[in-house]
Amino acid sequence: MSAEERILKVLEGINEKILTYSGENMMEDGTLDSFELIEIVSQLEEEFDIEIDAEYAVIENFANKETIISLMKKLLKE
Amino acid sequence: MKGIFEHIVVIGYGKITGEVLSFVNAQKEKYGYQMEFIEYEIHPVSITHKICTDEGIPYAQIPEKAKVTEKLLSIPEKTLIISASNNYLFPAEVVNKDNITVINFHNALLPKFPGRNAPSWAMFEGETEAGITWHYVTPGVDDGAIIVQKKTQITPDMKAYELAGILMNIAFEGFCESFEGVVTGTAPVVHQVFPPNRKIYLSKMVPNEGVFSLDDSPEDIYRLLRSTDYGLNAIFPHMKTNYQGKEIEITRYRKISADKKEDDGSLYLPLKDGSFLKLKYKEL
Repeated sequence: MSAEERILKVLEGINEKILTYSGENMMEDGTLDSFELIEIVSQLEEEFDIEIDAEYAVIENFANKETIISLMKKLLKE
Repeated sequence: MKGIFEHIVVIGYGKITGEVLSFVNAQKEKYGYQMEFIEYEIHPVSITHKICTDEGIPYAQIPEKAKVTEKLLSIPEKTLIISASNNYLFPAEVVNKDNITVINFHNALLPKFPGRNAPSWAMFEGETEAGITWHYVTPGVDDGAIIVQKKTQITPDMKAYELAGILMNIAFEGFCESFEGVVTGTAPVVHQVFPPNRKIYLSKMVPNEGVFSLDDSPEDIYRLLRSTDYGLNAIFPHMKTNYQGKEIEITRYRKISADKKEDDGSLYLPLKDGSFLKLKYKEL
């Protein structure tokens, strides 16, 4: 399974609406709440055995599934 | 059934407030009230602002307590104030005003755990169930009559942020179930019976005062860490302990199976079910 598929699987397990969301800010649009954001960070850390610092937990990185995948690819390269 | 309020004010932030706003707005023709929203705590990402804009709900950002109080005291109509996930503390002059009724949602099964961070305290105290309470607001702290309560289980590996999220969801369920009774004045009113030496949990209080001993049972340590875990929302400081004569703080923890143990400088504490509690730490 590719890293992107693993990310999408984590997101689907937390809130499957994230996968079909096509807007630019799923927190402001009410698709994602703050507790789910914490859950996403926690589960991605476990899935990839990395630590995601608080500085990355900004809405720009969790605006939709594309920005989350982009963030994770960046963190996994570091 | 006719409503007894001419005006409803919603105050709060976040998901539960957004859900309450939409629900109350959808009922206003049925019960004959006007409504408005006050945002006291301004958040950079505001779902409530969008809902108000989309649904045409009058909206005001008032980040100063004195001005919120002034605004509420100036309302002449018979008014219901709905406080949902809100940190504006209602002064007695508002709560006691003849034309004002205030209801609030608390994230515990009152009279247990009044005050702040109730999900953490329920988990830390070893409760197997938690819940929410919608109650009438008095000048005291979470001591008004109960309108409705909803329960959920605290599962063995649950973390504080997971419980808090579940409580938000059942809070909205409870609100929907009790709303008609509140706006028609027919909701059951159950006065709280307080235990002797009622304890109010303050925001500065931390479970176990934020420290533990490595001689404590790993299950107790795991429960302490879970009960203070709000992920990146650092509501509580990292838990501290002593290891090899030095003070350390736990930066990460995880329950893992025995085959996942590594020689990576982490502490591994054996749990009774055969798994291990992995603790990452840094020296202070």
